[in-house]
Amino acid sequence: MKTMSPSTLFAIFALLVLFVHPLHAATAPDLDDQTRAVATELRCVVCQNLSVADSPSEMAQQMRAIVREQLQAGKSPDEIKAFFVSKYGEWVLLKPKTTGFSALLWILPYVVLVLGVSAALWFVRRWVARKKNAEQSAAPAPVSQQIRAELLRKNVEEPDLEDASAKAQLLRERARLRNELIDLDFDFQSGKLSESDYTGLKQEIETKAGTVIQQLGSLPPEPAAKPAPAGKSRARDVKVNANPSQFRRWQIIAGGTFLMLFGLALGVMLTKSVRPRESENDTMTGDFLTGTNSSSVEVRAALNEGKQAFGNQDFPKAIEAFKKVLAADPNNPEAHSYMGFILVQAGHGDGALMAFDKALSQAPNFPMALWGKGMVLYQDKKDFAGARQILERLLNMLPAGEQRNEIVKVLAEIPTTGGNSTQSAATEKTQTAAAPSSAQISGKITIDAKLKANVDPNAALFIIARPGGGAGGPPLAVKKIDKPVFPLTYSLSQENVMMQGTPFTGKINLTVRLDKDGNPVTRTPGDMTGEYKKNPAEVGTKNVDVVIDQVMQ
Amino acid sequence: MPWRRLAITIFVIAPVLALLAYGFRRDSRYIVSPLIAKPATPFTVTLFDGRKLTLDDLRGKAIFINFWASWCLPCREEARDLEAAWQKVKDKNMVFLGVALQDTDKNSSEFLKEFNVSYPNGKDESGKIGVDYGTWGIPESFFIDPQGRITYKHVGGIRAALVIAKLEEAAKGIVSAQEGKGDYSAVR
Repeated sequence: MKTMSPSTLFAIFALLVLFVHPLHAATAPDLDDQTRAVATELRCVVCQNLSVADSPSEMAQQMRAIVREQLQAGKSPDEIKAFFVSKYGEWVLLKPKTTGFSALLWILPYVVLVLGVSAALWFVRRWVARKKNAEQSAAPAPVSQQIRAELLRKNVEEPDLEDASAKAQLLRERARLRNELIDLDFDFQSGKLSESDYTGLKQEIETKAGTVIQQLGSLPPEPAAKPAPAGKSRARDVKVNANPSQFRRWQIIAGGTFLMLFGLALGVMLTKSVRPRESENDTMTGDFLTGTNSSSVEVRAALNEGKQAFGNQDFPKAIEAFKKVLAADPNNPEAHSYMGFILVQAGHGDGALMAFDKALSQAPNFPMALWGKGMVLYQDKKDFAGARQILERLLNMLPAGEQRNEIVKVLAEIPTTGGNSTQSAATEKTQTAAAPSSAQISGKITIDAKLKANVDPNAALFIIARPGGGAGGPPLAVKKIDKPVFPLTYSLSQENVMMQGTPFTGKINLTVRLDKDGNPVTRTPGDMTGEYKKNPAEVGTKNVDVVIDQVMQ
Repeated sequence: MPWRRLAITIFVIAPVLALLAYGFRRDSRYIVSPLIAKPATPFTVTLFDGRKLTLDDLRGKAIFINFWASWCLPCREEARDLEAAWQKVKDKNMVFLGVALQDTDKNSSEFLKEFNVSYPNGKDESGKIGVDYGTWGIPESFFIDPQGRITYKHVGGIRAALVIAKLEEAAKGIVSAQEGKGDYSAVR
């Protein structure tokens, strides 16, 4: 291949540089323009790839003021940029320096481009040359070469030494000439023969061979001429020839797929990296490559939708939205907290506490979850000491303002003595556990034979008792059993009531739900349900058996 | 030898892709600050009690400078730790200085009162001190040795034990190559 001369490479490089860096008119801009010009080249340190000139943040305003002040003091744009670099490092420059190590960033793309274009040209030339060669090899070769190729061809019919037919004699003669030619080649290559002797002897053999091959070709075809080996050989030839083209096709497909995915990935990364930062925990690339799903557009949209629905008290819609958030980001503390508040609204104190604890396990100082947990402990569980501890922790974190005042007010309201401490709650549980069996309801839960195959082994079972007279409304008592094994014997008693102090007596409607996601609030297609066929049942009844026979769509 | 050619292609492309992925994953703000081991920029700050304090006045002592704001949750979380650390070292040749950023006088004063902060605190009126120290996420803490050289930088909340340990290192002029990290709030 003909290589590109250094002068040509230089010309391409110079052209590219000029193309990318057009010369600017040398006018004298005023101070505002100068400030903006410098600020455009500085990165806003609290933004997501925004320049100091474009960012509305207070920090960027302060940085712009410093730029202006330094320009007024007679510093050059380069000196000002150097000042910011000395404070923040080179990442503060939106355009890295063109000297030192950073110069690589400017030069490398052009080098890669030139190399890429050269490589592409080389490949095209090689491809063209190959095609030409292929065409040439397809053209008829000189007669002597054809004879030589035919003579040295492998997979030819072997001569039968005992056969006296004309064909067999010709085949034997061909084999002899073949061996003679091979020996001659060997002698010539090993230097035993001069070139003129070799040429003369070779021509002699080729002439004889030409006659033999011609005579063989003029023989009438034999009906059973062993077509299999020839066919096999042709098939093998075809296979050998087909392999490279198949491989080339595969290469083109793989290369194309790679380029498409690479372009797609680059596009996604670039669009995600040029946007305002969502929070201090947000990353430069958003959710891409970092695994922080919470910042993905879909999750944010669902979260906002949920918050809006929550604000409008449209709880079913809010639940759906938060469920979507939790499906994408199971540890999202904000969604867990909102779920907690929805459970509080529905009177599910225990469920709410679980949701707030889940949020706090991910973000131990998440204010919303602390507030929710503190209030549930105070108002629902009457655990005054626990509530005080949580709310004081929140108070310690919040800056002065309305929220803080509200917490101070609540803390003042919480009695310093009395209430159910964790200790007293435990005692109460022990007492209720020892309550007479008349204050409980018990029975067996089984799965309908048709549904047995559909049971999710990780599902949770909720046994729900609602006050008799209706299937709706908040439950009176709920029991959750993780990964239940059926048939299952259960009992529901005073210790399972949702609101402390509510007596577990009278008639109740008993339903059960085998919940796939274990969340008492959400309803997922595939959740299985069942109810006591003789609802309502009187508390104190035994053998309140339930068969799970429905699947939610 | 098409497979060998493919292997070579992958061998060339894979490092480029890895470099690209690394670059996109990396938060450039965590590239070590150019201020480490350099002389601390001098400044004068007006304290909340009305006095003026200049960094040069503190030369000869190990200095702990903490940038904070009352609206910043991690600043509130670390406030008691900082005061506790100050109580332990105040009789040594060490000094604490708090600098409030992007905050109102009222809120800053309430913050100091709430956490019983007894070491000197002032306000960065124009944000220049913050820029001089390359701040972007608060709380941000700097440790300066008696010769006026920055020995350690910590972005985010810091605990009392680390404050004391790093101050003792600063007193001996020991420079930490790595910056510390904790929960932070981005400055506005």
